[in-house]
Amino acid sequence: MQDNQKSESTLQNEVAQLMVECLNLEVAAEQISPDTPLYGDGLGLDSIDILEISLAISKRYGLQLRSDGADNKQIFGSLRSLTTYIAAHRTL
Amino acid sequence: MTVHSTLEKASWAAEPERGSLSMLRIMTWCSLKFGRKATRCALYPITAYFLLFSPKSRRASRAYLERAQERPVRWRDLYRHFFSFASTIHDRIYLINRRYDLFDFEIHGEHLLEKDNGLFLIGAHLGSFEAISAIGKKNAGLRVVMLMHEANAQKINAVLSAINPQSNQEIIGLGNLDAMLKVEAKLNKGYAVGMLADRTPGNEACRPVKILNETAHLPTGPFRMAALLKRPVVFMTGLYLGGNRYAIHFDHLADFSVAMPDGRDQAIQDAVNRYAGLLDQYCRKAPYNWFNFFDFWHPESE
Repeated sequence: MQDNQKSESTLQNEVAQLMVECLNLEVAAEQISPDTPLYGDGLGLDSIDILEISLAISKRYGLQLRSDGADNKQIFGSLRSLTTYIAAHRTL
Repeated sequence: MTVHSTLEKASWAAEPERGSLSMLRIMTWCSLKFGRKATRCALYPITAYFLLFSPKSRRASRAYLERAQERPVRWRDLYRHFFSFASTIHDRIYLINRRYDLFDFEIHGEHLLEKDNGLFLIGAHLGSFEAISAIGKKNAGLRVVMLMHEANAQKINAVLSAINPQSNQEIIGLGNLDAMLKVEAKLNKGYAVGMLADRTPGNEACRPVKILNETAHLPTGPFRMAALLKRPVVFMTGLYLGGNRYAIHFDHLADFSVAMPDGRDQAIQDAVNRYAGLLDQYCRKAPYNWFNFFDFWHPESE
Protein backbone atom coordinates (compact mmCIF):
# COMPACT_ATOMS: atom_id res chain seq x y z
CA MET A 1 0.00 0.00 0.00
CA GLN A 2 2.71 2.44 0.99
CA ASP A 3 4.69 1.42 -2.07
CA ASN A 4 1.75 2.22 -4.31
CA GLN A 5 1.36 5.63 -2.79
CA LYS A 6 5.03 6.30 -3.14
CA SER A 7 5.19 5.30 -6.81
CA GLU A 8 2.14 7.39 -7.57
CA SER A 9 3.68 10.52 -6.08
CA THR A 10 6.94 9.78 -7.94
CA LEU A 11 5.02 9.53 -11.18
CA GLN A 12 3.16 12.73 -10.30
CA ASN A 13 6.46 14.58 -9.90
CA GLU A 14 7.75 13.13 -13.13
CA VAL A 15 4.67 14.22 -15.06
CA ALA A 16 4.82 17.71 -13.52
CA GLN A 17 8.47 17.93 -14.53
CA LEU A 18 7.61 16.83 -18.07
CA MET A 19 4.89 19.48 -18.32
CA VAL A 20 7.16 22.24 -17.10
CA GLU A 21 9.91 21.28 -19.57
CA CYS A 22 7.60 20.65 -22.47
CA LEU A 23 5.74 23.97 -22.18
CA ASN A 24 8.57 26.00 -20.73
CA LEU A 25 6.32 26.97 -17.81
CA GLU A 26 7.45 29.60 -15.36
CA VAL A 27 6.61 27.54 -12.29
CA ALA A 28 8.65 24.82 -10.62
CA ALA A 29 7.32 21.29 -10.97
CA GLU A 30 7.03 20.98 -7.16
CA GLN A 31 4.79 24.03 -7.07
CA ILE A 32 2.08 22.46 -9.17
CA SER A 33 -0.50 21.22 -6.71
CA PRO A 34 -2.02 17.85 -7.70
CA ASP A 35 -5.55 19.25 -7.69
CA THR A 36 -5.06 22.56 -9.48
CA PRO A 37 -7.00 22.59 -12.75
CA LEU A 38 -4.62 22.49 -15.71
CA TYR A 39 -7.03 24.27 -18.04
CA GLY A 40 -8.04 27.89 -17.77
CA ASP A 41 -7.91 29.51 -14.34
CA GLY A 42 -5.54 27.03 -12.71
CA LEU A 43 -2.31 26.55 -14.63
CA GLY A 44 -3.77 28.49 -17.55
CA LEU A 45 -3.06 25.91 -20.24
CA ASP A 46 -5.02 26.05 -23.47
CA SER A 47 -6.05 23.44 -26.00
CA ILE A 48 -2.78 23.53 -27.96
CA ASP A 49 -0.77 23.18 -24.71
CA ILE A 50 -2.86 20.15 -23.83
CA LEU A 51 -2.20 18.60 -27.23
CA GLU A 52 1.50 19.29 -26.86
CA ILE A 53 1.65 17.60 -23.45
CA SER A 54 -0.41 14.65 -24.61
CA LEU A 55 2.03 14.10 -27.46
CA ALA A 56 5.01 14.21 -25.08
CA ILE A 57 3.30 11.89 -22.60
CA SER A 58 2.35 9.38 -25.27
CA LYS A 59 5.98 9.13 -26.34
CA ARG A 60 7.41 8.94 -22.82
CA TYR A 61 4.96 6.39 -21.40
CA GLY A 62 3.93 4.55 -24.53
CA LEU A 63 0.28 5.57 -24.30
CA GLN A 64 -2.09 4.96 -27.13
CA LEU A 65 -3.90 8.22 -27.74
CA ARG A 66 -7.27 7.36 -29.11
CA SER A 67 -10.19 9.66 -29.54
CA ASP A 68 -12.87 7.14 -28.61
CA GLY A 69 -13.91 7.58 -25.02
CA ALA A 70 -10.85 9.56 -24.03
CA ASP A 71 -12.27 12.67 -22.45
CA ASN A 72 -9.64 15.40 -22.46
CA LYS A 73 -11.35 17.69 -20.03
CA GLN A 74 -11.53 14.98 -17.43
CA ILE A 75 -8.07 13.46 -17.97
CA PHE A 76 -6.44 16.86 -18.00
CA GLY A 77 -8.61 18.12 -15.14
CA SER A 78 -5.65 18.09 -12.77
CA LEU A 79 -2.18 16.67 -12.35
CA ARG A 80 -3.69 13.95 -10.15
CA SER A 81 -6.25 12.81 -12.73
CA LEU A 82 -3.62 12.91 -15.48
CA THR A 83 -1.24 10.78 -13.40
CA THR A 84 -3.98 8.28 -12.63
CA TYR A 85 -4.75 8.00 -16.33
CA ILE A 86 -1.09 7.46 -17.21
CA ALA A 87 -0.62 4.87 -14.47
CA ALA A 88 -3.58 2.92 -15.82
CA HIS A 89 -2.65 3.09 -19.50
CA ARG A 90 1.15 3.20 -19.67
CA THR A 91 3.08 0.52 -21.52
CA LEU A 92 6.59 1.89 -20.86
CA MET B 1 6.72 30.89 -22.65
CA THR B 2 3.65 32.39 -24.26
CA VAL B 3 1.82 35.14 -22.45
CA HIS B 4 -1.58 33.94 -21.38
CA SER B 5 -3.69 37.02 -21.76
CA THR B 6 -7.01 35.29 -21.94
CA LEU B 7 -10.26 36.67 -23.21
CA GLU B 8 -12.54 35.36 -20.50
CA LYS B 9 -15.82 35.93 -22.21
CA ALA B 10 -15.40 35.64 -25.94
CA SER B 11 -18.64 37.22 -27.01
CA TRP B 12 -18.88 35.56 -30.39
CA ALA B 13 -18.83 32.09 -28.84
CA ALA B 14 -21.83 32.96 -26.72
CA GLU B 15 -23.81 34.10 -29.73
CA PRO B 16 -24.74 31.17 -31.97
CA GLU B 17 -24.56 33.23 -35.16
CA ARG B 18 -28.34 33.38 -35.11
CA GLY B 19 -28.49 35.77 -38.05
CA SER B 20 -26.27 33.84 -40.39
CA LEU B 21 -27.83 30.47 -39.61
CA SER B 22 -31.44 31.50 -40.16
CA MET B 23 -30.34 33.35 -43.28
CA LEU B 24 -28.66 30.18 -44.51
CA ARG B 25 -31.69 27.96 -43.94
CA ILE B 26 -33.98 30.14 -46.01
CA MET B 27 -31.47 30.57 -48.80
CA THR B 28 -30.32 26.97 -49.23
CA TRP B 29 -33.70 25.71 -50.20
CA CYS B 30 -34.56 28.50 -52.63
CA SER B 31 -31.11 28.79 -54.16
CA LEU B 32 -30.93 25.20 -55.28
CA LYS B 33 -34.48 25.34 -56.61
CA PHE B 34 -34.36 28.61 -58.56
CA GLY B 35 -30.69 29.18 -59.42
CA ARG B 36 -28.15 31.88 -58.52
CA LYS B 37 -29.39 34.75 -60.66
CA ALA B 38 -33.01 34.54 -59.56
CA THR B 39 -32.35 33.97 -55.86
CA ARG B 40 -29.71 36.67 -55.70
CA CYS B 41 -32.55 39.21 -55.96
CA ALA B 42 -33.77 38.02 -52.59
CA LEU B 43 -30.47 39.14 -51.04
CA TYR B 44 -31.46 42.80 -51.31
CA PRO B 45 -34.48 42.65 -48.96
CA ILE B 46 -32.74 40.08 -46.74
CA THR B 47 -29.77 42.41 -46.37
CA ALA B 48 -32.07 45.33 -45.60
CA TYR B 49 -33.89 43.24 -42.99
CA PHE B 50 -30.69 42.27 -41.17
CA LEU B 51 -29.33 45.78 -41.45
CA LEU B 52 -32.46 47.18 -39.77
CA PHE B 53 -32.94 44.52 -37.12
CA SER B 54 -29.39 43.64 -36.01
CA PRO B 55 -28.33 46.81 -34.21
CA LYS B 56 -25.34 45.11 -32.56
CA SER B 57 -23.92 43.86 -35.86
CA ARG B 58 -24.62 47.24 -37.39
CA ARG B 59 -22.68 49.04 -34.69
CA ALA B 60 -19.78 46.63 -35.09
CA SER B 61 -19.83 47.09 -38.86
CA ARG B 62 -19.80 50.87 -38.52
CA ALA B 63 -16.94 50.88 -36.03
CA TYR B 64 -14.93 48.52 -38.24
CA LEU B 65 -15.58 50.40 -41.49
CA GLU B 66 -14.55 53.67 -39.88
CA ARG B 67 -11.18 52.10 -39.13
CA ALA B 68 -10.78 50.37 -42.49
CA GLN B 69 -11.91 53.20 -44.75
CA GLU B 70 -10.70 56.11 -42.63
CA ARG B 71 -13.67 58.26 -43.55
CA PRO B 72 -17.19 58.78 -42.18
CA VAL B 73 -19.40 55.74 -42.71
CA ARG B 74 -22.74 56.09 -44.48
CA TRP B 75 -25.70 53.70 -44.50
CA ARG B 76 -24.69 52.80 -48.03
CA ASP B 77 -21.37 51.43 -46.71
CA LEU B 78 -23.11 49.40 -44.02
CA TYR B 79 -25.49 48.03 -46.64
CA ARG B 80 -22.61 47.00 -48.88
CA HIS B 81 -20.86 45.30 -45.98
CA PHE B 82 -23.96 43.29 -45.03
CA PHE B 83 -24.70 42.57 -48.69
CA SER B 84 -21.22 41.23 -49.24
CA PHE B 85 -21.68 38.87 -46.26
CA ALA B 86 -25.05 37.70 -47.59
CA SER B 87 -23.53 37.13 -51.05
CA THR B 88 -20.75 34.90 -49.74
CA ILE B 89 -23.23 32.83 -47.72
CA HIS B 90 -25.46 32.52 -50.78
CA ASP B 91 -22.52 31.54 -52.99
CA ARG B 92 -21.38 29.01 -50.41
CA ILE B 93 -24.39 26.91 -51.38
CA TYR B 94 -23.21 26.72 -54.99
CA LEU B 95 -19.54 26.31 -54.17
CA ILE B 96 -20.20 23.41 -51.82
CA ASN B 97 -22.31 21.90 -54.57
CA ARG B 98 -19.37 22.28 -56.96
CA ARG B 99 -20.94 24.81 -59.32
CA TYR B 100 -17.57 26.46 -60.02
CA ASP B 101 -18.74 27.35 -63.53
CA LEU B 102 -20.89 30.14 -62.05
CA PHE B 103 -17.88 32.09 -60.77
CA ASP B 104 -14.93 34.05 -61.94
CA PHE B 105 -11.85 33.38 -59.78
CA GLU B 106 -8.54 35.17 -59.87
CA ILE B 107 -5.79 33.39 -57.94
CA HIS B 108 -2.60 34.87 -56.50
CA GLY B 109 0.31 33.01 -54.96
CA GLU B 110 -0.79 29.49 -55.80
CA HIS B 111 2.83 28.37 -56.14
CA LEU B 112 3.18 28.65 -52.33
CA LEU B 113 1.02 25.54 -52.02
CA GLU B 114 3.50 23.26 -53.75
CA LYS B 115 4.84 21.53 -50.65
CA ASP B 116 5.20 17.75 -50.61
CA ASN B 117 5.33 17.42 -46.87
CA GLY B 118 2.17 19.29 -45.98
CA LEU B 119 1.61 22.84 -44.80
CA PHE B 120 -0.69 24.96 -42.69
CA LEU B 121 -3.16 27.32 -44.34
CA ILE B 122 -4.19 30.09 -41.98
CA GLY B 123 -7.22 32.18 -42.78
CA ALA B 124 -9.67 34.45 -40.99
CA HIS B 125 -13.32 35.43 -41.06
CA LEU B 126 -12.32 37.54 -44.02
CA GLY B 127 -13.97 36.72 -47.35
CA SER B 128 -15.15 33.27 -48.31
CA PHE B 129 -13.47 30.08 -47.17
CA GLU B 130 -15.56 28.08 -49.64
CA ALA B 131 -14.06 30.03 -52.53
CA ILE B 132 -10.62 28.89 -51.39
CA SER B 133 -11.65 25.30 -50.95
CA ALA B 134 -13.13 25.43 -54.46
CA ILE B 135 -9.58 25.97 -55.73
CA GLY B 136 -8.52 22.90 -53.79
CA LYS B 137 -11.18 20.79 -55.39
CA LYS B 138 -10.57 22.12 -58.88
CA ASN B 139 -6.85 21.61 -58.41
CA ALA B 140 -6.89 17.97 -57.37
CA GLY B 141 -3.35 18.21 -56.01
CA LEU B 142 -4.46 20.25 -53.01
CA ARG B 143 -6.25 18.40 -50.25
CA VAL B 144 -7.43 20.45 -47.30
CA VAL B 145 -8.45 19.28 -43.85
CA MET B 146 -9.88 21.90 -41.48
CA LEU B 147 -8.87 22.05 -37.86
CA MET B 148 -11.15 23.79 -35.37
CA HIS B 149 -12.48 23.90 -31.84
CA GLU B 150 -14.91 21.12 -31.08
CA ALA B 151 -18.10 23.18 -30.83
CA ASN B 152 -17.38 24.87 -34.16
CA ALA B 153 -16.51 21.55 -35.78
CA GLN B 154 -19.93 20.19 -34.91
CA LYS B 155 -21.70 23.32 -36.09
CA ILE B 156 -19.82 23.45 -39.40
CA ASN B 157 -20.40 19.77 -40.02
CA ALA B 158 -24.12 20.31 -39.54
CA VAL B 159 -24.14 23.24 -41.93
CA LEU B 160 -22.10 21.46 -44.60
CA SER B 161 -24.15 18.32 -44.58
CA ALA B 162 -27.33 20.40 -44.76
CA ILE B 163 -26.03 22.09 -47.90
CA ASN B 164 -24.52 19.04 -49.54
CA PRO B 165 -24.46 15.61 -47.91
CA GLN B 166 -21.54 14.68 -50.20
CA SER B 167 -19.49 17.74 -49.35
CA ASN B 168 -16.64 15.58 -47.97
CA GLN B 169 -14.93 18.43 -46.16
CA GLU B 170 -12.67 16.73 -43.66
CA ILE B 171 -12.67 18.32 -40.22
CA ILE B 172 -10.52 17.56 -37.18
CA GLY B 173 -11.80 18.83 -33.81
CA LEU B 174 -9.24 20.08 -31.30
CA GLY B 175 -11.11 18.50 -28.40
CA ASN B 176 -9.52 15.05 -28.57
CA LEU B 177 -6.17 13.88 -27.29
CA ASP B 178 -5.19 12.45 -30.62
CA ALA B 179 -5.91 15.64 -32.60
CA MET B 180 -2.18 16.39 -32.91
CA LEU B 181 -1.44 12.88 -34.18
CA LYS B 182 -4.25 13.10 -36.71
CA VAL B 183 -2.95 16.44 -37.94
CA GLU B 184 0.57 15.08 -38.24
CA ALA B 185 -0.65 12.05 -40.18
CA LYS B 186 -2.49 14.31 -42.63
CA LEU B 187 0.54 16.54 -43.10
CA ASN B 188 2.71 13.51 -43.79
CA LYS B 189 0.31 12.58 -46.56
CA GLY B 190 0.81 16.03 -48.08
CA TYR B 191 -2.41 17.64 -46.90
CA ALA B 192 -2.85 21.34 -46.20
CA VAL B 193 -4.26 21.81 -42.70
CA GLY B 194 -6.55 24.84 -42.62
CA MET B 195 -7.36 26.99 -39.58
CA LEU B 196 -9.10 30.30 -39.02
CA ALA B 197 -6.89 32.14 -36.56
CA ASP B 198 -8.73 35.39 -35.84
CA ARG B 199 -11.09 34.17 -33.11
CA THR B 200 -10.83 32.01 -30.02
CA PRO B 201 -13.57 30.50 -27.90
CA GLY B 202 -11.93 31.99 -24.81
CA ASN B 203 -9.19 30.78 -22.47
CA GLU B 204 -6.67 30.51 -25.29
CA ALA B 205 -3.33 32.26 -25.17
CA CYS B 206 -3.39 35.52 -27.12
CA ARG B 207 -0.94 38.21 -28.15
CA PRO B 208 -1.61 41.91 -28.64
CA VAL B 209 -1.15 43.11 -32.24
CA LYS B 210 -2.05 46.20 -34.23
CA ILE B 211 -4.81 45.88 -36.82
CA LEU B 212 -6.16 49.03 -38.52
CA ASN B 213 -4.20 51.21 -36.09
CA GLU B 214 -5.70 49.72 -32.97
CA THR B 215 -4.65 46.96 -30.57
CA ALA B 216 -6.45 43.65 -30.93
CA HIS B 217 -5.68 40.22 -29.48
CA LEU B 218 -4.97 37.23 -31.69
CA PRO B 219 -4.59 33.63 -30.53
CA THR B 220 -1.13 32.11 -30.83
CA GLY B 221 -2.39 28.51 -30.86
CA PRO B 222 -2.46 27.96 -34.64
CA PHE B 223 1.14 29.16 -34.95
CA ARG B 224 2.32 27.18 -31.93
CA MET B 225 0.88 24.09 -33.55
CA ALA B 226 2.61 24.79 -36.87
CA ALA B 227 5.90 25.39 -35.02
CA LEU B 228 5.53 22.17 -33.06
CA LEU B 229 4.94 20.17 -36.23
CA LYS B 230 7.63 22.14 -38.11
CA ARG B 231 5.70 23.07 -41.25
CA PRO B 232 5.44 26.12 -43.50
CA VAL B 233 2.47 28.41 -42.92
CA VAL B 234 0.62 30.14 -45.75
CA PHE B 235 -2.04 32.83 -45.32
CA MET B 236 -5.27 32.37 -47.27
CA THR B 237 -8.24 34.54 -48.09
CA GLY B 238 -11.00 34.42 -50.72
CA LEU B 239 -12.09 38.02 -51.17
CA TYR B 240 -15.49 38.72 -52.65
CA LEU B 241 -15.21 41.49 -55.24
CA GLY B 242 -18.88 41.83 -56.21
CA GLY B 243 -20.91 40.17 -58.95
CA ASN B 244 -19.60 36.65 -59.38
CA ARG B 245 -15.97 37.59 -58.84
CA TYR B 246 -13.60 36.29 -56.17
CA ALA B 247 -9.91 37.01 -55.68
CA ILE B 248 -8.06 34.24 -53.87
CA HIS B 249 -4.82 35.22 -52.25
CA PHE B 250 -2.10 33.04 -50.75
CA ASP B 251 0.76 34.78 -48.93
CA HIS B 252 3.84 33.50 -47.16
CA LEU B 253 3.43 33.74 -43.37
CA ALA B 254 6.20 31.68 -41.79
CA ASP B 255 8.29 28.60 -42.35
CA PHE B 256 8.76 26.53 -39.22
CA SER B 257 10.36 23.69 -41.21
CA VAL B 258 13.69 25.55 -41.19
CA ALA B 259 15.84 26.56 -38.23
CA MET B 260 14.53 29.39 -36.05
CA PRO B 261 17.64 31.42 -35.19
CA ASP B 262 15.88 33.63 -32.61
CA GLY B 263 14.06 30.76 -30.97
CA ARG B 264 10.60 29.32 -31.30
CA ASP B 265 8.73 31.94 -29.26
CA GLN B 266 10.15 34.77 -31.32
CA ALA B 267 9.34 32.95 -34.57
CA ILE B 268 5.75 32.48 -33.37
CA GLN B 269 5.49 36.13 -32.37
CA ASP B 270 6.80 37.18 -35.79
CA ALA B 271 4.24 34.96 -37.51
CA VAL B 272 1.35 36.42 -35.45
CA ASN B 273 2.54 39.94 -36.30
CA ARG B 274 2.78 39.12 -39.97
CA TYR B 275 -0.68 37.58 -39.89
CA ALA B 276 -2.03 40.80 -38.29
CA GLY B 277 -0.26 42.80 -41.00
CA LEU B 278 -1.94 40.76 -43.75
CA LEU B 279 -5.37 41.15 -42.12
CA ASP B 280 -4.76 44.89 -41.99
CA GLN B 281 -3.68 44.97 -45.63
CA TYR B 282 -6.67 43.01 -46.97
CA CYS B 283 -9.20 44.85 -44.77
CA ARG B 284 -8.06 48.09 -46.40
CA LYS B 285 -7.98 46.56 -49.86
CA ALA B 286 -11.40 44.91 -49.71
CA PRO B 287 -13.15 46.33 -46.61
CA TYR B 288 -16.53 44.64 -47.11
CA ASN B 289 -15.00 41.20 -46.55
CA TRP B 290 -14.49 41.43 -42.80
CA PHE B 291 -17.07 39.06 -41.31
CA ASN B 292 -16.49 39.56 -37.62
CA PHE B 293 -19.73 41.33 -36.77
CA PHE B 294 -18.84 42.02 -33.15
CA ASP B 295 -16.43 44.43 -31.49
CA PHE B 296 -13.30 42.58 -32.56
CA TRP B 297 -10.97 45.06 -30.85
CA HIS B 298 -12.76 45.01 -27.47
CA PRO B 299 -14.65 41.70 -27.26
CA GLU B 300 -14.86 42.00 -23.45
CA SER B 301 -17.01 45.13 -23.79
CA GLU B 302 -19.93 43.18 -25.27
